[in-house]
Amino acid sequence: MKKSVVTLGIAVGAALAAVAGASANSSAPARQTSGASCAKTITIPLLSVLTGPAAFLGNDQLSWAKLAAKQEGPKLGHTFNIVGVDTQLDPAIAATAAQKVIANGSYVVVIGPATSGGSAATSKAFFDAKVAHISPSATNAALTKSVGGKAPTATAAFYRVVADDSVQGTRDAQYIAGTLKAKKVAIIDAQEPYSVGLADIVGTYLKANGVTVQRESVTNNTTDFSAIVNKISKDTDVVFTPWQVASNAQVLGVTLREAGKAAVVFGTDGTDDPSSFKLAGSFVSNFGPDISADAAGKVYVDAWNKDNPGKTFSAFGPPAYLAAQVAMQAITKACKTNQNTYATRASVFSLVRNVKVANPIYGGAFRFSTKTHDPLNGSFWLFQIGSDGKYKQIGKLGS
Amino acid sequence: MVPGCSAARDHTFLLLVDQFIQTIVDSVTLGSVYALIALGYSMVYGILKLLPFAHGDVFMVGSFIGLGVLKAFGGAANPTISIWLVLVLMALAAMAGCAVLGVAVERFAYRPLRNAPRIAPLISALGTSFFIAYSMQLLFGANHRTYDTFTMAGGKLFLSGITWGPLHVSLVRIIVVVVAVVMMVVLWLLVSRTRMGKAMRATSFDREAAMMMGVDVDKVIVFTFVLGSALAGIGGVLFSLRTDVYSQMGFLAGLSGFTAAVIGGIGSVPGAMLGGYLLGLVETVTQTYISTGWSNLFIFSILVAFMLIRPSGILGKAEIKKV
Repeated sequence: MKKSVVTLGIAVGAALAAVAGASANSSAPARQTSGASCAKTITIPLLSVLTGPAAFLGNDQLSWAKLAAKQEGPKLGHTFNIVGVDTQLDPAIAATAAQKVIANGSYVVVIGPATSGGSAATSKAFFDAKVAHISPSATNAALTKSVGGKAPTATAAFYRVVADDSVQGTRDAQYIAGTLKAKKVAIIDAQEPYSVGLADIVGTYLKANGVTVQRESVTNNTTDFSAIVNKISKDTDVVFTPWQVASNAQVLGVTLREAGKAAVVFGTDGTDDPSSFKLAGSFVSNFGPDISADAAGKVYVDAWNKDNPGKTFSAFGPPAYLAAQVAMQAITKACKTNQNTYATRASVFSLVRNVKVANPIYGGAFRFSTKTHDPLNGSFWLFQIGSDGKYKQIGKLGS
Repeated sequence: MVPGCSAARDHTFLLLVDQFIQTIVDSVTLGSVYALIALGYSMVYGILKLLPFAHGDVFMVGSFIGLGVLKAFGGAANPTISIWLVLVLMALAAMAGCAVLGVAVERFAYRPLRNAPRIAPLISALGTSFFIAYSMQLLFGANHRTYDTFTMAGGKLFLSGITWGPLHVSLVRIIVVVVAVVMMVVLWLLVSRTRMGKAMRATSFDREAAMMMGVDVDKVIVFTFVLGSALAGIGGVLFSLRTDVYSQMGFLAGLSGFTAAVIGGIGSVPGAMLGGYLLGLVETVTQTYISTGWSNLFIFSILVAFMLIRPSGILGKAEIKKV
């Protein structure tokens, strides 16, 4: 009896996993081919991580995209509404969410998915439905570029408003080898596309420049880093953590200090969360600068604070404002080409590429590269965590 | 022999020995928490022949209760009373809160299905697990939080402890292991030396016969849930002293506790303890000497292997089927 109950438990667990997998791969639902009415409120779905360990980033993106709709919509002569669609940190859930979005004919453009894995998993479906999707944070280089002779993992429907990992990885590695003068670096990936891609780029650069590299691997669900820290030698200068769960970087850093190891933790945009990752001396690189540092950016921050009293945001938020600006401008153009009646998916799809934002949140001007669907001259910024846990902007990487 | 080579070889050997001892220390810390979770699984299975899948979520709630108490007393950096007293209160509150939660789960999710077909309580247990996890997520959000233990007492919990050459066993690890072992000893004494313990063993052996002998089986079952859930509660606090707190943390922790219980012999109290420490050892050794990435694959392969080769676990006894 004992064996049968335990076996039954395992069987039920396996069956649930199978059902979840099957639902994620279910065939596409029937699609409507209508568009968005230009005279009514136009709703734009934002696919992001709204629950789970990285929910902070999705909620930041949603609040900033909503602010963009509120501030920029009237300037464009339309009323926009942003709705959040949860993808968690799971590409399979993102694929299911994309099918639901595609099935709603009034959605003509999508912001997101937030993650590289989610973007790769949904791009084909969006392309087939002629829905352009603009990510505010998917940075895996392979999404838009051929890496290792392979075709890009995303389709022509995919755009992003942030620079990719090839820029970030190279600039991070240059800083680690050049400015920090590291001789020995441990790189720990999190076994998903964003993390592995970034870890590969940094590892390749460092090895080519004579730095000793130790490569390790964890998952987003890893909670005890004792064994990994045990493998990292005391003369390791930097531990590079391209992860998406900021608190894991904090736990790793504390475990390093517990073991008497002084290696500096160097995180990327996924670990940029001042409420979780606050180990003094650590670094974080991100695709957005600290917009509150200048007067122009502070106007946006004040407006956001007014709408979100008592809350704080990470660097994931402001790029969603820009992605929403791109989406709204493309819809506005599509409306104009159709006598302000309907914006169709096909017209928005063809117009996104040529959108130019004259007043982006980061200043300057924004447009896409003529070669890929990446931003022209995208950059990354570096922050160092102070003894008070606050992030101090070091500057633009590579400049 | 070149003297320099010999010295270098000795140094490398010492580093390897240091790494091995540190691995054992790490595995004992992790295993202590797994053992506390596994005990709840094993005791409930022993009494009810039910796999309490919500047990991992009770563990998670214990972790949150600890966080709530810590915040109520001003947080890790600036507590309003002695931080050591706060730690004790966190543990006691988590044990009490989880005991109440465990009793509620038994009363509303398991008891009505006690005589139903075996699949019904299993599904109810899974549903309860999701219910607790997502209720906590709705109440407290999905973000990861920490006890911020590194700022407690100026980092003393991590930076002080026993240092022997290159080996450092931090105070927080000592606390985790000592508290867990004390809890297990208390449980062992309770089960083996008290009247209620005898009733628990009798119920586990044959519920109907125990009932006929005058044992109040309902009371025994409730007491089992109180014990198992209290252990999960303190396990949650001990675990989160070294890691973070979030609403979905119970799933993997529960799975690890279940694996430990199966390996040790589900239904057996010493088996659950042994299983917990063995699982901690396998996980840490795999991560240190084989691959950090392959650790989970290795662990769950062992679970499958046990199910195939020795389904009763190391200390479990195969049941005799009456024909």
